[in-house]
Amino acid sequence: MSNLIMIFLSLALVNNFIVSKFLGLCPFFGVSKKLSSAFSMGIAVTLVMLIASMVTWVINNYILIRYGVEYMNIIMYILVIASLVQMIELFIKRTNLTLYNALGIYLPLITTNCAVLGITLINASEKYSFIESIFASLGGGLGFMLILIIMSGIREKLDIADTPRVMKGLPIAMLVGMMLGLTFFGFGGIV
Amino acid sequence: MKDKSLKGTFPVVFLTLVALIAVGLLVGIDSITAEKIEQQEDQKIQEMLAEMFADMDSYQADDPVEDIYTIYDDGDVIGYSFETVGKGYGGDIKLLIGLENDKTTLKGVTVISQGETPGLGSRITENAFLDMFAGIDKSDVALSKDGGQIDAITGATISSSAVVDAVMGAISEKVQLLGGSE
Amino acid sequence: MRKFLKHMSTGIIISNPIFVLALGFCPALAVSTSVDNAIGMSVGVLFVLLGSNIIVSVIRRWVPNMVRIPVFIVIIATFVTVINLVFHAYVPSLYESLGIYLPLIVVNCIILGRAEAFASKNPITDSIADAIGVSIGFFLALLIISFFRELLGTGSLSLFGTHLFTLPVLGENPMTVFILPPGAFLVMALLLALLRKMGVIKHE
Repeated sequence: MSNLIMIFLSLALVNNFIVSKFLGLCPFFGVSKKLSSAFSMGIAVTLVMLIASMVTWVINNYILIRYGVEYMNIIMYILVIASLVQMIELFIKRTNLTLYNALGIYLPLITTNCAVLGITLINASEKYSFIESIFASLGGGLGFMLILIIMSGIREKLDIADTPRVMKGLPIAMLVGMMLGLTFFGFGGIV
Repeated sequence: MKDKSLKGTFPVVFLTLVALIAVGLLVGIDSITAEKIEQQEDQKIQEMLAEMFADMDSYQADDPVEDIYTIYDDGDVIGYSFETVGKGYGGDIKLLIGLENDKTTLKGVTVISQGETPGLGSRITENAFLDMFAGIDKSDVALSKDGGQIDAITGATISSSAVVDAVMGAISEKVQLLGGSE
Repeated sequence: MRKFLKHMSTGIIISNPIFVLALGFCPALAVSTSVDNAIGMSVGVLFVLLGSNIIVSVIRRWVPNMVRIPVFIVIIATFVTVINLVFHAYVPSLYESLGIYLPLIVVNCIILGRAEAFASKNPITDSIADAIGVSIGFFLALLIISFFRELLGTGSLSLFGTHLFTLPVLGENPMTVFILPPGAFLVMALLLALLRKMGVIKHE
């Protein structure tokens, strides 16, 4: 059990997807000031990561490895992810139209989010078991969401602050990313 | 949504065709590269073993125990070697450990791969650190603060202990399998 | 010929993938810890971009609109798998340095973006020019970032095993933060600000 918690904490905090592994940066820089959007995005991505991890684990261990065609993993993973996002998009559209409109273009963009393909690749290279993959994807996703939420809070102040013209927008957001990253180094001792 | 009942199947056929071509191409590329990849792995191990055991003439994997390399010089066994993985600060630390023929004295430790902090934990790859393992008795494999012979790297205690713990664990496990004394 | 060069140069400055279009950060920041990695990654991107742009351009009149994106994805994923295998077999140390970021080229917005925005609507030669241009733009951006990160973060510069030079003071006590993830954010932020000041890229 402690092993699972370590995997979870490692991917959520110590090796945080955004500030440490640089996975999932596009939504990070595009996140709005609204906490609810950041939260919805975070949940959506975590959900995709979780389901994708489970499906790709099965494909990896029961098909790819069994037939010795591990090199097909990239194609298989991305197709699984693309289909998954498509299905989730349809599901959200039918059940919660406000959420669908709130997420807008960012929902289909989850397909190209490095974090999703990233976690499937990490699961494969670390040779995690099924349950370990679950904890890993939850850790990665929730860590991603944490940063998004923190950023949405900072964004509010950032937009009205007196930033030098050259730094407005992307550069200052990057600096915030740097500071968050330095802060998260403090978690290093956990694992 | 235009009604594509007549051309309905063409998109699917097209996609399937593309997918089949893609798979075919990949199978082809894989058959060319797979052998080379395996060769690379073997070569890497061989180079590392040769560096650790200067007198090495040949080696045999899985002999007498699985995952242990037996090192030969002209037919005589001169030592053993095995890999192990430690949990470092930045992920796995893969190590290659060399044991003398007496199954008690260490020949040396080589770092196969690591992802520690550059400039701090990554210094476990430096000779200054690894040389401390060469020639010591297996009972001395511990950090100085724990009574052993290995000085931790300043500012990289986690990486240093990860290596020490991994070496300690691997040795006690493999020596038992080799039939040596505790 | 002129059109070829024009398409190429667009990708280098005007539509520079990293500094202007702000696409493909993930690998750029992750991999720019050394100039070697930057070169390796750029070669990978060039191969995939060239391959996918060419194929997409060739089949552009026959691709049914409905399966457009999945077809592009399969094509891109195939080229990424090829370069992944080739690197693994022939340049294993580079393969290990790049790690998961090499296969992540497949979700690099640059590749899909160019296939969708350009190659699917333009003839083959133009698509080739675009691929080369964007790759050069990507490479230049990565080169600058990794140059500073490696120099300040390790105090010296090496190119594929050949040591180039070591800085006097930093050689012994480099500013390690530059080699670490936060350093990437820092270098990127400062570079963007500098390029804006110089007028090379537009302000917000």
